Amino acid sequence: MALLQLENVTKRFGGLVAVNRVSLEIEEGAFVGIVGPNGSGKTTLFNVINGVFFPEEGKVMFRGRDITRFPPFKRAPLGIGRTFQIPRPFASATVRENIAVGAMFGTQGHQLNVDRSLEVADQIIERVDLTAHRDKPAGTLTPVEKKLMEIARALAMKPRLLLMDEAMAGMHPNDIDQMVAFIKRVASEENIAIVAMVEHIMRAVIGLAEKVIVLHQGSKIVDAPTKEALQDPRVVEVYLGHGPEDEAC
Amino acid sequence: MKQIQKYFPLIPVFAAYLFMFLLAENKEGMWQLMSMLLFYCALGQAFNVFMGMTGYVDFGYVAFMGVGTYGMALSITRLVQYEFLGAWVLVIGFGLAMVMSTLLSMAVGAVALRLRGAYFAIATIGVNEGFRFLIEGARIWNGSEGMIFTADLNKVLGRETAAALCTYWADIMVLAIAALAAFVSLVYMRSKIGYALTALREDEDAAKVMGINVTKFKIIAFITSACLAGLLGATAWALKTPYVFPPEVFEIHYTIEAIIIVMLGGAGTLLGPVVGGLVYGISKYYLSIFLPGFQLLIFAPVILVIIVLFPEGIVGMLKAKTKGTGVERFVV
Repeated sequence: MALLQLENVTKRFGGLVAVNRVSLEIEEGAFVGIVGPNGSGKTTLFNVINGVFFPEEGKVMFRGRDITRFPPFKRAPLGIGRTFQIPRPFASATVRENIAVGAMFGTQGHQLNVDRSLEVADQIIERVDLTAHRDKPAGTLTPVEKKLMEIARALAMKPRLLLMDEAMAGMHPNDIDQMVAFIKRVASEENIAIVAMVEHIMRAVIGLAEKVIVLHQGSKIVDAPTKEALQDPRVVEVYLGHGPEDEAC
Repeated sequence: MKQIQKYFPLIPVFAAYLFMFLLAENKEGMWQLMSMLLFYCALGQAFNVFMGMTGYVDFGYVAFMGVGTYGMALSITRLVQYEFLGAWVLVIGFGLAMVMSTLLSMAVGAVALRLRGAYFAIATIGVNEGFRFLIEGARIWNGSEGMIFTADLNKVLGRETAAALCTYWADIMVLAIAALAAFVSLVYMRSKIGYALTALREDEDAAKVMGINVTKFKIIAFITSACLAGLLGATAWALKTPYVFPPEVFEIHYTIEAIIIVMLGGAGTLLGPVVGGLVYGISKYYLSIFLPGFQLLIFAPVILVIIVLFPEGIVGMLKAKTKGTGVERFVV
């Protein structure tokens, strides 16, 4: 059984169909890239998966449960974590407290008291190499550190599925390579499925993704292993416009 | 030991209250000022549980103190005929004050807590005015005539005890409420509730996605804060001055004062309301002596300057300054 299953999900905003009858499956521990140009419905799809929006039609199944109508705070403890395109730290709280919040209300939340959560945070801080910033307010970090902290906070939730919203945008290519390698390693160690959203076909993410799903104007147009997906003429068309044959018609 | 260390931040708070008490006890003519300062500290401390921790500004806060005052007043006036109850009338009064303020906060919270930020603030402005007009217009609990229960209080406690209650013990109870509010604040801060509230104050949407049931935690803070306000009203208003008039107990300027105290001292900090209450109370007291009538004119720009210079409040600034030093664990 797939970890996450979307069945014919449609989300409309008034007359605009942001996500149009999308079905997809994410397996346990998989690394999937969701690709599509600006406005193709990626963020809306993410918001449907983690409960910010409820779809008008279709079903969202997670670990065999129908969670279509679950609010976000009920999905997180089931194992859906998320990072944002622009990091959203709890600015006045320290890095340690931020990450502890992840542990406290994540999948292990009911077993972790405050002290244990702070210990979990300390372990993760060491792992992501934020030790020097442990007691700084998260709002004072640099953008790259904020991203790292947000990923650490999501990992502290011990999710089964991690949705990464343009997690690498704006980062230096070297940092991206490092970060992706790190996420990949943690994900495989802890069996976390990663769904990374990318606006541009980004070498680093694509290089590691086993599968690529391409969205275009709210519909899924390609869902294939990475190599095949990249060679698919429809993907080229979405990104580069119509080929010469089309123009001829 | 680690468990005890968690409560170290209460030491400066309680020390401040103890100092105020001792000063008032031993120095002639200080009691009136101290009683006012304690009231402001208690008000700030209670208001801070909601406004400081959630970042939501409740302009209807005084309504909870108002219904608390009525709770005590009703208990005294209605139960005075049952002589066997004796001083239990006051205990029932406190219970009723808490129940009534809790019920009102649940009713207000159920509607207003669905709104965010400024919308919440606007929605709550009407609460105390609305409640006041309801009591006056529908002639509930004597309507606009209010209740005067000095005689009833004398009957319940005896003349001497009642006088001692009004002039002395009511202030001690205000001190106890301030201390209780500080204790509750710290317990919240050190528990998951505090972490959840910090998260939702900083970014409500991110908090939801992190698995935090924001509505639940907002309601917890709202009810706790309202309940403390009810107790404060029952003590500082009903017991200290045994009468209640709707325009007085639903006066919005107490809410404004609470906001000023919390902002001045440092929203969401434990020590903030004490510092804010003292600074505000002392300046108000001396300004009204030396420049009567001008206090607001002077106070408004002072507050503006403080908010611009230390947006985190006085304690917020101290917290940043003491970071990494030995006193860090006391300044929370």
